[in-house]
Amino acid sequence: MHSDSPVRHRRAIALDMLGFVARATAVALAAAAVLVAAVLLLAGRAEAAESEPGALLLHTLDGRELPKAPLLSTDVSFRVSGMVARARVVQVFQNASADWVEGVYVFPLPESAAVDRLRMLVGEREIEGEIQERETARRTYQAARDGGRRAALMDQERPNIFTTRVANIGPQESISVELEYQQTLRYDDGRYSLRFPMVVGPRYIPGFVRTSAPEQLGWSPNTDQVPDAARITPPVLRPEAGLINPVSLRIALDAGVQIEEVASAYHPVTVAAPSVSRREITLAAGTTPANRDFELAWTLQRTQAPQVAWFTEEKAGRHYGVLMVLPPAPAPGARLAREVVFVLDTSGSMAGASIRQAKDALQLALARLAPGDAFNVIEFNSAAQALHPRAVPVNPGSVRRAIDWVQSLQARGGTEMASALVLALDGSDEAKRVRQVVFLTDGSVGNEQALFHLIRERLGDTRLFTIGIGSAPNSHFMTKAAELGRGTFTYIGRIEEVQDKMTALFAKLESPVLKGLEVIWPEGARAESWPARLPDLYAGEPVVVAAALDRLEGSVRVRGTRAGRLWEAQVPLAQSTGSAGMGSLWARGKVEGLMDSIRNGTPEDMVRAEVINLATAHNLVTRYTSFVAVDKTPVRVSDAQLKLAAVPTNLPEGWDYGKVFGELPQGATDSRFALLSGSILLLLALAMLRRRTA
Amino acid sequence: MRSELAWGAECAWPASRRSRCLPWRSLALALALIGALQFGHGAWIQAKAWLAQALIARAWDRTLQGERQVRPWPWADTWPVARLTVPALGIERYVLSGADGSALAFGPGHLQGTPAPGDAGNSVVGGHRDTHLAFLRDLLAGQRIEVERADGRRVVYRVVEVAVLDKRDVWVAKQEGPTRLTLVTCFPFDALRAGGPQRYVVFAFELENRGGERGMRG
Repeated sequence: MHSDSPVRHRRAIALDMLGFVARATAVALAAAAVLVAAVLLLAGRAEAAESEPGALLLHTLDGRELPKAPLLSTDVSFRVSGMVARARVVQVFQNASADWVEGVYVFPLPESAAVDRLRMLVGEREIEGEIQERETARRTYQAARDGGRRAALMDQERPNIFTTRVANIGPQESISVELEYQQTLRYDDGRYSLRFPMVVGPRYIPGFVRTSAPEQLGWSPNTDQVPDAARITPPVLRPEAGLINPVSLRIALDAGVQIEEVASAYHPVTVAAPSVSRREITLAAGTTPANRDFELAWTLQRTQAPQVAWFTEEKAGRHYGVLMVLPPAPAPGARLAREVVFVLDTSGSMAGASIRQAKDALQLALARLAPGDAFNVIEFNSAAQALHPRAVPVNPGSVRRAIDWVQSLQARGGTEMASALVLALDGSDEAKRVRQVVFLTDGSVGNEQALFHLIRERLGDTRLFTIGIGSAPNSHFMTKAAELGRGTFTYIGRIEEVQDKMTALFAKLESPVLKGLEVIWPEGARAESWPARLPDLYAGEPVVVAAALDRLEGSVRVRGTRAGRLWEAQVPLAQSTGSAGMGSLWARGKVEGLMDSIRNGTPEDMVRAEVINLATAHNLVTRYTSFVAVDKTPVRVSDAQLKLAAVPTNLPEGWDYGKVFGELPQGATDSRFALLSGSILLLLALAMLRRRTA
Repeated sequence: MRSELAWGAECAWPASRRSRCLPWRSLALALALIGALQFGHGAWIQAKAWLAQALIARAWDRTLQGERQVRPWPWADTWPVARLTVPALGIERYVLSGADGSALAFGPGHLQGTPAPGDAGNSVVGGHRDTHLAFLRDLLAGQRIEVERADGRRVVYRVVEVAVLDKRDVWVAKQEGPTRLTLVTCFPFDALRAGGPQRYVVFAFELENRGGERGMRG
């Protein structure tokens, strides 16, 4: 120690001083943080303490308090074999109140679901539902309801929105509605997927308000543009009231060949493997609140995956079948210069997680553009706005500017989608160009039909690709808009999916299309297949048709051209796999074809008559036919009042309630907080200085 | 030596008197600076709010003389649309157009899309609970609110109800029902910070004549 030189001593002092300064700064920052936190906490408490009462009360948007709705829980089980799925959905309406209740539940199903069975379950008893014309079914149901008998009714509002009504649920009693549907799976790019939507996201309702119906169950009144708005806008529970409507889910998957990988995109699941070709899937948590779509996707062992599938069922002397043929992957062709128009939905329903996913996807797409391409970006909420008056050439500067602009956009306001479509679809038809519109939206609108008309009218040579964003996209809008736009659809439900899904979409946008597809059935089979006109196919997509025919003899031929080269496949009809429910799928396909024909000018009355015939024969719920189940004996005496209540739904996960339904102006500044925290810091500083100088 | 470097201990290293305890002092000065900035920020919000009303008063005089959309200062993006008084409380406020943050800093704002104060329907006016609309907490059912419109006409309202609601209770802006003035501010009044979910709402119905008053409560 004594041998230390003065230089070393000074160095030690300097180090000590530095250390002290560092520590003092840290302590001061911590003290300041503690003070600020304490002030914040006190301030927060003051507000939280007051916000408790009334939080759980459910109101309509005009402030009326809603009657107590029955509690709803759903149990779903799927049997998947090959490329078709059969689903059984049980909705339990539990009346926890002391009154007699009529419950109304608006819920989604996949847009291609063929609902062909309904039963009402009361205790141990099962009452089979019957298909009737919508109006007749309503009267049957009302007569039973008013007569005090238990009854259930199921209507279709949109291909993917349905309503069940259950009448005369006694105090502390529960009634279940069990429905079954058939569905073909989606196959794309080597992956099968099964999607089960759980909540109807709040839809934007354009137009002028019409006088509301006496029985107003939805949060939106009917308008001139959406005359049934009240039927598709079930009340939405405010997020702080908790999550309701639990769903349990079970899938028995039998792929027929070895399964490679099974994954659930949005819900943790437990997967058991009884054999290499079978899986049993359940939700890991047991149940999940109905606030976002469920999706299960799986791939098959590559060498065993079938390129052709032909499932049939015989019913009343006629054969019904679903045919899937997978064309070979396209050879990478010369890349054509493209004009791409990106359309971004920046409405209030996109606020939160959705807009982040959409911006990420859009940024990726912009960065992927090549020199020689041209592009433009359009955003829309209450009005549409284009970045450039017309498409501009791709260069680092223009792409940079577009990315910056997209990043600056905020999600709020309405969803006036028509104005964006008018901007994006110029209606022109030029032979030599490739023009693609990439439309990023959650499709949360109530005026789908008007938009489909617009797409049909203005498409020209443009191709429209929809990207369904968020936790509860409107699948009917996504698929039909892409179909009419002769493009494809993609879903992005999580930010982690953006990269993969967009890369798959780019592959589709950039490789040659399989066009002019034809399915030629053997002579004498009297085959009738749907869809009547097959869409163009993008890379990785299969041909899927449903057919009704007299006999399974000879071969069906499928052909088309890709990049000028003919492709043809033959499938012997006798080599079929028996599978129940093909008749429903065929009828469902035909109903869709008939409904679409209204857009092409077929009188609705003609279509209605044909759909009703078809639906009655095949027991299908359609726009014009409903299921109704009625119990025989009255249970409610006429002087006991029946209370009508709509089952509330969750806000879809990741959505922002205030951005969807609006907010009152903010009525405070931070001035008091600033004055108080400023004074505290000043006093503290003063005390410190005094103590030192004293 | 190191153990003495703790809070409250004498600064132990040899140093001149002037630089003694330099870290401690600079810390105090830094806190003082942050405190002053913070205090100044709060004071500035309040000063701006009240100074602006004086400037707006002049713009209102010109409005009454027939000018339209008189901006109180050249770069303002808002203008007065009504003068609101509460005789019982001795309150006078100039209502600006638009109820967004930029207008509310200078005065209560009229919510766009609702009728102007004095017109038929439901006129909604928002404002800050810690500046212009702080008086709402003293406003009682039965008291009068007078509105002077740009055309000089005066309309009298009577407070019928006050309520604490959620910011998403947008139904308060609906148009059905009697002609009324709806005043919205944040709640609770004493909260330090902005951004809470609650709103204090005052509903005041138009008084058509003295006969109408008898029908009202109070």
